[in-house]
Amino acid sequence: MSGQAAAGRRAGFSIRRAGQKALDVISRGVVGQVAALAIVLVIFAAGTEGTYLSLKNILTILSLAGIPMIICLAIHQVVVIGGMDLSTEGVISLCAVISGFLIKNNFTGYNIGFWAVPISMTLGGLTGLVSGLLNTRVKMPSFIATLGMWWAAQGLSVIIGRGNAVKMLDQRFQNITNGDILGIPNLILMAVAIFAILLVIQRMTKLGKYIYAIGGDEQLARQAGIKVDRIKVIVFVITGVIYGLAAILLLSRVASSNPRTGNGQLFPAMTAVAVGGVSLSGGIGGALNALFGALIVTALNNGMVLMKISPYIQSAVNGVVLILAVAVTIDRRKIGIIK
Amino acid sequence: MKRLTLLFCVAAILALAVVGSAYAQKGVFMGTAIRSLENPYHLVWSRGGQAYADSVGGIHVVQTCEGSSEKQLNDIKALIAKAGKNAVFCIDPNEAPNAVPIAKALEAAGVYYVTWWNKPDNIKAWNFPHWVAHIAFDGISTGEFTATELIKSMGGKGKIVAIQGMLANTTAIDRFQGLKNVLAKNPDVELVAQDTGEWDRNKAFDKMKSFLSANPDVGGVWCANDNMALGALEALRAAGLAGKVLVTGADGITEMLNAIDKGEAAATVLNDSFWQGGIGLSLAIAAKTGKINLKTTPKDHRQYYVQAIYINQDNIKKVIAEHVTGTPKYDWNDLYANYLRPMP
Repeated sequence: MSGQAAAGRRAGFSIRRAGQKALDVISRGVVGQVAALAIVLVIFAAGTEGTYLSLKNILTILSLAGIPMIICLAIHQVVVIGGMDLSTEGVISLCAVISGFLIKNNFTGYNIGFWAVPISMTLGGLTGLVSGLLNTRVKMPSFIATLGMWWAAQGLSVIIGRGNAVKMLDQRFQNITNGDILGIPNLILMAVAIFAILLVIQRMTKLGKYIYAIGGDEQLARQAGIKVDRIKVIVFVITGVIYGLAAILLLSRVASSNPRTGNGQLFPAMTAVAVGGVSLSGGIGGALNALFGALIVTALNNGMVLMKISPYIQSAVNGVVLILAVAVTIDRRKIGIIK
Repeated sequence: MKRLTLLFCVAAILALAVVGSAYAQKGVFMGTAIRSLENPYHLVWSRGGQAYADSVGGIHVVQTCEGSSEKQLNDIKALIAKAGKNAVFCIDPNEAPNAVPIAKALEAAGVYYVTWWNKPDNIKAWNFPHWVAHIAFDGISTGEFTATELIKSMGGKGKIVAIQGMLANTTAIDRFQGLKNVLAKNPDVELVAQDTGEWDRNKAFDKMKSFLSANPDVGGVWCANDNMALGALEALRAAGLAGKVLVTGADGITEMLNAIDKGEAAATVLNDSFWQGGIGLSLAIAAKTGKINLKTTPKDHRQYYVQAIYINQDNIKKVIAEHVTGTPKYDWNDLYANYLRPMP
C-alpha cells in the first residue's frame, strides 16, 4: 500500500517536473529566431537597396507568410509530441477538392457558402483521427501512418476531382482571403488568431502540459498516468482541423481548386518548423517558434526573389537552411542510434 | 484475431483483382502511358485515347506513373506480358532517359509505339524498327507567339515579368527561349524579373506578389503555362490590376480561355492533348496494320514537331465554341496533321 502511494507521489512529482520543464522550454522563446530574422532583413535590405524593407513589401511578406504560418502551426504540434506528420499535402488537396465542389463552382450545383469552412475542417480532423489511431492503436510510426494518409488522401482527391481545375464562383471567399483590415493582410490576422489559440492551449491547459510531457519523455509520461494515446490522437485531430482551414485559404486565394492544391506545402512548413526552433526530437518549441519559423522562411524566399537570385540557388539555399536548422535544434541526448 | 482480419482483407483484395481481370475483352490493347490523371492536360489526353479506341473498337488501358519512371516501365511490361504483340502504345515518357528502357522493352516484344515530349537527344526513333514516331509540340514557337501577343497588348513598350516552368524541363526551357527571341527584337520592352513558379498556381501567385512589390509599374506578365498565368492573374486581381496588366500562358485550359475572353489574359496556345492521345494510338495502329511502312517512312516523319493551336483575343470565341462548349471533330486517319518541322 505504502509502495503504491510512493509510486503515486513519484508519478505526481514527475508530472510536475515534466510540466515545469515544458514551461521553461516554451518560455525559452525565440531569441535565436529573432536574430536570424534580423540578419535576413539586413542582408536583403542591403541587397535590394531598401525595396525589401518598404512598407509595401513588408505587407507582401506578411500576406505571403499567412498560409505557411498556419500550416506550420498545424505540423509543429505533432513534432512537439515527438511524432512527424507528412500527410499535409494530400489532406489539404482532399479538403480543397471537396470544398471546391461544395462552394459555388462551375462543376456541381452545390452552393453552401461558408458552411464549407466547418466541413473542410471536420474532414481534415477526420484524417487526423485516422492518422492518430493508426499511430496509437496499430502502433505504426507516425511518419509511416501519415505518409500513407498523404497518398491515400491524394489518391482520393484525384478520384473525386478527376483532375479538373474547379473554378470557385463565390467571390466572398477570395475577397476575405486576399483582403486586409487597415492595411494588414487578413491572412496574417488569421494566422495570429490560430497562434493565440494554440499558445493558450500549450501554456495554460492541462492538455498543453501533457503534450510537452509526452514530447519530453513518453515513457515517463505514460508511467505518470497520462493517457498518452488519447493526447496524441487529439493532437493529430487539431492538426488535421487546421489543414482543413489551410485548404480553404489556398483554394480561395486563387479561386480555384484541383487535386494538386496542397502540393509543395510540406517542405516550406517543415523547414519553418525546424528554423523556428521546434526540435524534431520532440518536447522543445511551441507555437511562437512555428510562427517565427514560417516568417523567416517566407522573408528569406521573398528576399531571394527580389534580389533576382537564380531559382536553382534558391532551392539549394532552402535545403541548406533546413539541414542547418535541424543540426542546431535537435536534442542529441534523446538519440541512441541514428538510422 | 487481428491477423485473421488482415488475412481476410488481403484475400478480398486478391479476389477482387482476379474477378476484375476475368472480364476478358477482345481487340487490340491500346496502352496510354501518361504521368497522372491529376491534371486536366493528361486527363483530356486519356479521353482522346479513349475516343480513338472507341472509334476502332480497341481496349484502351490508361497507365499513370505518378512521376515514377520505374512504375511506368513496369506497367508497360505488365501490359506486354498480358497482351503480347496484340498491343500498341502511346507514351509520355516520365523523363527523357526513361524512353530508352521503354523502347527496348517494346522492341523486344515487337510492339509498335509512339512517344511524346521526352527522349534523349542522341537516341533516334528511326533506329528502332517499332518506334513509329517521337513527337512534341514546339515550345519555342509557343513562347514566341505568346510573348509577341503580350508585347502587342502593351503597345510595344514597357516592363514585363516572366514566370518560368520547372527549370530542368525541356518544355520550360524552349518556351522561355521563345520569349527571349522576341525580347531581342523588342528593345523597348524590358524583362525586369523572372523566376520559376514550378508550373504551380499557388507558387505563381506567391512569386507574382513579390514581383509586384518590387515592380509596381509592370506592364505585362509572361508565364510558361496557363496554371501559373491564372495564379499570377489572381495576384494582379488582389492588387487591383486584373484586366489592366495582361497575362499570357500556354496549354489552353478552359479557365485560361475564359480569362482571354474576359480580356484579362492576352494569349495562350492549346496543346491539344485530346488529339495527342488519339493520334498517337492511331499512328501506332497504322504501323501495326501496315497502313504505313516504317522502313520507307522518311526520317523527318519519325521525329518531328507539331504546331499547337494559337489563341488570342481575336479567335477566342471560335476556339471556345469548338473546344469548350463543343467537342472537336478529328480525322484520326490524317496521321501527320499539324506537322510543323522535323526534330533533329
